[in-house]
Amino acid sequence: MRSPVIRRTTLLGTALFTAAALSLTACGGGGSGSGGNSSTVTIWSSIDAPVQAGLEKALVAKLKAQGKDITIKWQQVQDINQLIVTKIQAGDTPDIAFIPQPGVVRQMNTLGATKAMDDTVDMTTLKSSMLPGSLDAGTIDGKLMGLLVSANVKGLIFYPKKAFDAKGYKAPKDIAGLEALTNQIKADGGTPWCMGIESDTATGWPATDWIETLVMKYNGADVYNKWVAGDVKFDSPEVTKATDEFAKLLFTSGNTLGGQSAIASTNFGTAGNPMFDSSGPKCWLYNQGSFITGFFPKNIQKDLDANVGVFGFPPATAGGDNPVEGGGDMMTMLNDSDNVKTVVKDLSETDIGNDAAPSSSFISPHTDFNVKLYPTGTTKTIAGVAYASTAFLFDGSDQMPAEVGTGSFWKEMTAWISGQEDATTALKNIDSSWPSS
Amino acid sequence: MLVKSSSTLITVLVGIGAALLLFWILNKLAELLPGRWEHRVKPYLYILPAFASITVYLIYPTILTVNNSFKDNLSRNYVGFRNYTTLFHSQEFRETLFNTLLWVIIVPSVAVVLGLAVAVLTDRLSPGAEKFSKTVLFLPMAISMIGAATIWRFVYAAEPKGQPQIGILNAFIGIFNWGPIAWLQKSTFHLNSLLLMVILLWAQIGFSMVLLSAAVKGVPADTLEAARIDGANERQIFFRVTVPQIKGTLITVLITVTIGTMKVFDIVYVNTNGDFNTNVLGNLFYNNISTFLNYGAASAIVVILMIAVIPIMWYQVRHFRAEEAGAS
Repeated sequence: MRSPVIRRTTLLGTALFTAAALSLTACGGGGSGSGGNSSTVTIWSSIDAPVQAGLEKALVAKLKAQGKDITIKWQQVQDINQLIVTKIQAGDTPDIAFIPQPGVVRQMNTLGATKAMDDTVDMTTLKSSMLPGSLDAGTIDGKLMGLLVSANVKGLIFYPKKAFDAKGYKAPKDIAGLEALTNQIKADGGTPWCMGIESDTATGWPATDWIETLVMKYNGADVYNKWVAGDVKFDSPEVTKATDEFAKLLFTSGNTLGGQSAIASTNFGTAGNPMFDSSGPKCWLYNQGSFITGFFPKNIQKDLDANVGVFGFPPATAGGDNPVEGGGDMMTMLNDSDNVKTVVKDLSETDIGNDAAPSSSFISPHTDFNVKLYPTGTTKTIAGVAYASTAFLFDGSDQMPAEVGTGSFWKEMTAWISGQEDATTALKNIDSSWPSS
Repeated sequence: MLVKSSSTLITVLVGIGAALLLFWILNKLAELLPGRWEHRVKPYLYILPAFASITVYLIYPTILTVNNSFKDNLSRNYVGFRNYTTLFHSQEFRETLFNTLLWVIIVPSVAVVLGLAVAVLTDRLSPGAEKFSKTVLFLPMAISMIGAATIWRFVYAAEPKGQPQIGILNAFIGIFNWGPIAWLQKSTFHLNSLLLMVILLWAQIGFSMVLLSAAVKGVPADTLEAARIDGANERQIFFRVTVPQIKGTLITVLITVTIGTMKVFDIVYVNTNGDFNTNVLGNLFYNNISTFLNYGAASAIVVILMIAVIPIMWYQVRHFRAEEAGAS
């Protein structure tokens, strides 16, 4: 015969277990897509908080000026690229989502979650104001499914301004000039390049940016877009030319701080910091995206314009075709109620960035944006590189199928750079990882 | 933070309340039945919630996963065995399988040998010293696997030559003007994989030690004395008297660590994400589902892993039954 006391404790134990199971299910849920023409419009993004705050401020002001009674519920979410696909499948979506990767926009479109924005925004104005080529990245089957709202620029070469100017170095006009500058720095006893591709679980991406920049500079926008779409192979003369140049600039003995073997173990965020060593630059050039200034040492960031110089990665031939690599956050519309359309229209206009630009790293994708609003000379130069480009091309690895763009491209470049494979093997492996369907 | 913790508290309280209510109702329902039936039905009603949650959270997802492994990347159309054939044709997957096999062979055996060695050696220390050394060895168990992996990342970190080395290994060999060595990139003889295994061993040795230590202490002293009187030396006593008597625990530890090792993920993910030929099945699965958004391939990998775990589980269940039968 069991005693009632024991019985009660078992009961409590089972109750606790069930409670744990129940509370696990209770953790789900979250934002919700509003049905009908709700006066609340939800936006999800993974944009930096200051940029988001600036955009939201301008958006609310615009809506107020238009006399619209729309409440904006703008949520900062972690890693929207991964989240949005899961949420779409769970049927729990916002009205507007800002997606950094065109590949994900395409995937959302495959799942039938995006609405075309052609009739919502002013296409004629956008065609003249947007960075050349940037509308293409969000266009699927002739319909505008993603529109760049906040841009970043890649293929920028940063240098320690004071020492660089003191040595009398000049920004090169073409790739041959970049090689000459590399050799000159080396002849003067310096190490030309800072380089690091370690980025936790995303190790390899800085190398893919390099290769993408070289591919577009050498071959132009058309070949670049074909390559991104999978119609030009990795193991092709067009891409091999880029990997050869990469190897020439960075693998040559004495060209890179720590040598080739250090590249894969050096973090991309700190790789540029030896440029600002108190005993003089340990390396002189660092090719990265516009956001890298936020990783520089605090004392350098305090007076960015005096400490840091920047020029765009030079074109293959001076004064010739000069596409620029970039990225950013693309607006996607998941609900086409009238209120959502009003918000989308407002977000598509040039002046939406007027509040974000002065107080953050925001760069407008509109070439008619008032550059005086940018807070530093460095940001003005960076925006200038984008606005002067012959084509603004989205980061290729962000557009390729995820197996390649965030998988084999990163991993094979890492294997090549760390000396585990030669370039041909790496490029062939990437080709064979391209999904068949 | 306050809102979060209070909502957690409320969720837990409501959950416990609801569960208590549920069991109270089930109990009342059973009591409505006539005498003998009440006692017959009650046990089933009591296990019902636990059984239901296992079905919902374990069996249903398993069926779903097997089903998805035969579908395309977004689980829309059936593609037959394509996910499996693609996997087995890929060089990367074969390397991953081999690496996982290395983990499964090396980690459990080393964990058992080291755990047993520590258990036997500390058994001979003074009680204070034994407690202290065991506590120290057990401490890493309290650290989450992600935490352990992150700590060891700093141990293996390498900066370009001439820069200050923040990694303790490279800082140490730097004293002798050697290095820096990018440890996690050295795939010759799978050195980097072995270095990653050290992390799991560091974190798991405490578990193995505690169980084996308890078993060693449980060996009846008279059997040891009898062996000594018969003139056996310490080695013979260990291998012929102690080991046979703790065999059950040895196997349990071996199996538990093996299953844990097959599922290893965090350590590889945090340190190399499978680069430099260090990939394991757990990490490959995660890459496929979370980075490549390929649900088909991810499901296929999990199914393969599941098939590999089943024989070990089966052996373990049989072993437990034999133990129980032997005990009673």
